[in-house]
Amino acid sequence: MLGEFEYLLITAAAGLGEEAYGAAIREEIEATTGRKCSIGALYTTIDRLETKGLLKTWMGDATPQRGGRAKRMVRVTPKGVSAAKAFYDAVTRVSRGASWVTNRTGSAS
Amino acid sequence: MKSTGWALVEAAARLLARDEREAVLGDLVESKENAWQGLLGVLGLVFRGQALPWKSWRPWLAGFGVALPSSFLLMGFSLSVSWSYLTIRCPELLRKSSLTLGSGSLVLLCQALLLIGWSWTGGFVVGSLSRRTLWASTLLCYSPCLFCLSRFRVESLSRFCLLLFLLPAIWGVHQGLRISRLKRNWAMILAITITGLMLLGWSSRAHHWWAPPRWTLDWALCGPAWYLVATARRATSKAGWGGSDGLWSEQREQQTGMP
Repeated sequence: MLGEFEYLLITAAAGLGEEAYGAAIREEIEATTGRKCSIGALYTTIDRLETKGLLKTWMGDATPQRGGRAKRMVRVTPKGVSAAKAFYDAVTRVSRGASWVTNRTGSAS
Repeated sequence: MKSTGWALVEAAARLLARDEREAVLGDLVESKENAWQGLLGVLGLVFRGQALPWKSWRPWLAGFGVALPSSFLLMGFSLSVSWSYLTIRCPELLRKSSLTLGSGSLVLLCQALLLIGWSWTGGFVVGSLSRRTLWASTLLCYSPCLFCLSRFRVESLSRFCLLLFLLPAIWGVHQGLRISRLKRNWAMILAITITGLMLLGWSSRAHHWWAPPRWTLDWALCGPAWYLVATARRATSKAGWGGSDGLWSEQREQQTGMP
């Protein structure tokens, strides 16, 4: 099963589609979670997910706004989609009846 | 990226693989991070890249289980081989050892082959297990060598006699990095030959003069050869069961291997 950050990364990459690359994924994760995402965590996780066959990466074109440096493009593989769906289903199932889902206040008694 | 800070970032990024460096530096420019944040990010990535392989048992086994102890033992055995050579070259020593030139030469040949076999298999295992942590295994191998070289005091032998094992070991490391696993038949032949040579050394009368009994240590040096047999057999049996697991693990090894 995926880890939390792995799920976030795959979901962000899937949402960005053809525009998924390191900086864009990082920005997306930071914007949606409000948490800082380090370059180290991002690229280490991309490498790990690629090794597992959940992502595919390749070097894209260089652009002037990147100082002429190439992007590392990312695409989620069908296996990655399945893994993310399994994680999402598990979180959804385990969350049923939780107070923050059913709008109850306080702990269940 | 012209300031001193960014020069530092670029210098740190040289520790990354080429494509990764390109992507990371581009991301830092695009996200308009300052040099300090960039430097921390790059160093963090470098550190994670170096630390990650250590989560596996492989580099630990390669460094502390094989490279470090084997270098001590093989230095001792290199000295034995050198001493045997000296004995058959010197009639007085040969007479004291109660060996003939023929039997002394046979023992020397047996020892030399054993040294090559032990060193090569040890190096092969270190190479195949270490991969990105080869620098650490190399350090753990060379440290005892330097320690012993600095303290070696035998007038009749050069201190470099201690390092006879290095050449076949380096050759083994090179092969281990390239092919990672031996074919089962080859691994079996190698292990049986090495063990046979070791037992021959034990059973021969000559054993009593060229080395003190050291059964456990000799078996420890045979360990890498039998490890190669065990891993070769496992890879074959997984492939034989029809799964792609054997292939997958091979690919994973390559992906986590040396850049």
